[in-house]
Amino acid sequence: MTMVATPPPPPLPTRQRTQIPSGGLSPMLSRLAAERATGVLMREGGLLHLADGQVVYAESPATPGLDALLIARGALDEDGWREAVAEAGTRHRVGRFLVDSGLISEGALELCHLGALYDAAYFVLGPSSAPARFRYGEAHWLGPVRPVPVAGVERETVRRRELLHRIWPDPATDEAPLLRTGHPVVTSVTPRQGEVLDRIDGVRTAADISRALGRPAFHTLVDVRRLAAAGAVTARPVPVPGPAPSPFPALGAAPGVGPGPVPQAPSPPHEAPRAAPTDLSSPFADPHITLLKRLRDALEAL
Amino acid sequence: MPGIDECLLEAMRLPGARGAAVVDWTSGLALGTVGDAPGGDHETTAAEAAELARLAAEHRAFAPEDDADWSDDACPVEDLIIANRDSYHLLRFVPTTFDSSVFLHLWLARAEGNLALARIRLGEMAGRLVLG
Repeated sequence: MTMVATPPPPPLPTRQRTQIPSGGLSPMLSRLAAERATGVLMREGGLLHLADGQVVYAESPATPGLDALLIARGALDEDGWREAVAEAGTRHRVGRFLVDSGLISEGALELCHLGALYDAAYFVLGPSSAPARFRYGEAHWLGPVRPVPVAGVERETVRRRELLHRIWPDPATDEAPLLRTGHPVVTSVTPRQGEVLDRIDGVRTAADISRALGRPAFHTLVDVRRLAAAGAVTARPVPVPGPAPSPFPALGAAPGVGPGPVPQAPSPPHEAPRAAPTDLSSPFADPHITLLKRLRDALEAL
Repeated sequence: MPGIDECLLEAMRLPGARGAAVVDWTSGLALGTVGDAPGGDHETTAAEAAELARLAAEHRAFAPEDDADWSDDACPVEDLIIANRDSYHLLRFVPTTFDSSVFLHLWLARAEGNLALARIRLGEMAGRLVLG
């Protein structure tokens, strides 16, 4: 996916058709599903465990795991979980053991497991620059609880991206430490949003807050974007220069401004950065492209 | 001890049941579905029902009077009923002992369905789904 031209000075990354393929997020994953592979897919964002080509478990550092979710609010105690892993881990039957020994009901386990699976998969299948790897091997120790087809997980991941984008198109709050703006919030803050808001301290990220609450991280992203849309929360500015002050006006200004293809390179600190968005708006209104463009600008500014 | 599928199949045994689903109202994801969906599309139905469920669950106006600080972990709303010319939709929030935002969605044919009975049964199913 990364097509960064390295040596020559100004050639821009090509980006004629930058869009999420509707078929699948990862060709490798589709292939593994087709060959009914068992093992673990390792991507930058975390791990996706497959059994017979279906997703049986997902884990990501960005979000609490099944154990954390169950233990956080007392659905299960830590000893119970440890016992189950010790007793049934090697047989890959931890889920079954939890239900059979009466520690948790089947319905509760399925609900929590599915929630955690789609949640972690969202982060595992997030944009990544590193290549994915797959290790064939044993199924996950949890054992089959409710396997999900790969295509379903991918479709849901794309849908979730669109959902977040619809709520508030700026993804800055997804990963950065969060700040309360202190602006009076016009819309009412819901109880779940209130729990998130209470934990925003300029240091914690959405992932930290999810862990503190024992809540799937995507749920926190949704609430944080809603709060951002309401003006209550913002991403703490990080040392990386933002997208606006692009030091290379040629990038933004080139296509629209001058019809003459003359190398009018040393365009002075004009209003180039301001002009860029409007000039480019029509062909590049696609959110993925704007995001990629901002990423590119930030990288080039380094 | 029923899982999601057993719970949905039980819901389908109610008179007039056309379809049922377990849905997460934060993301709009259908965690399980059975039978038909309006328009034949369970995923779209789940996303749309989730929007409605979220509004009901998150607005103070629909919480009980005595839940003054609104801090109860459980959803303040028990269920939602929607009636149209030919069917009912019943959305029942599922209380869980872990952090979640899940509801049961039952689609009932109006001619054969018994709303009062369905409401009682769905409440029982929601309880059993989580507590076993």
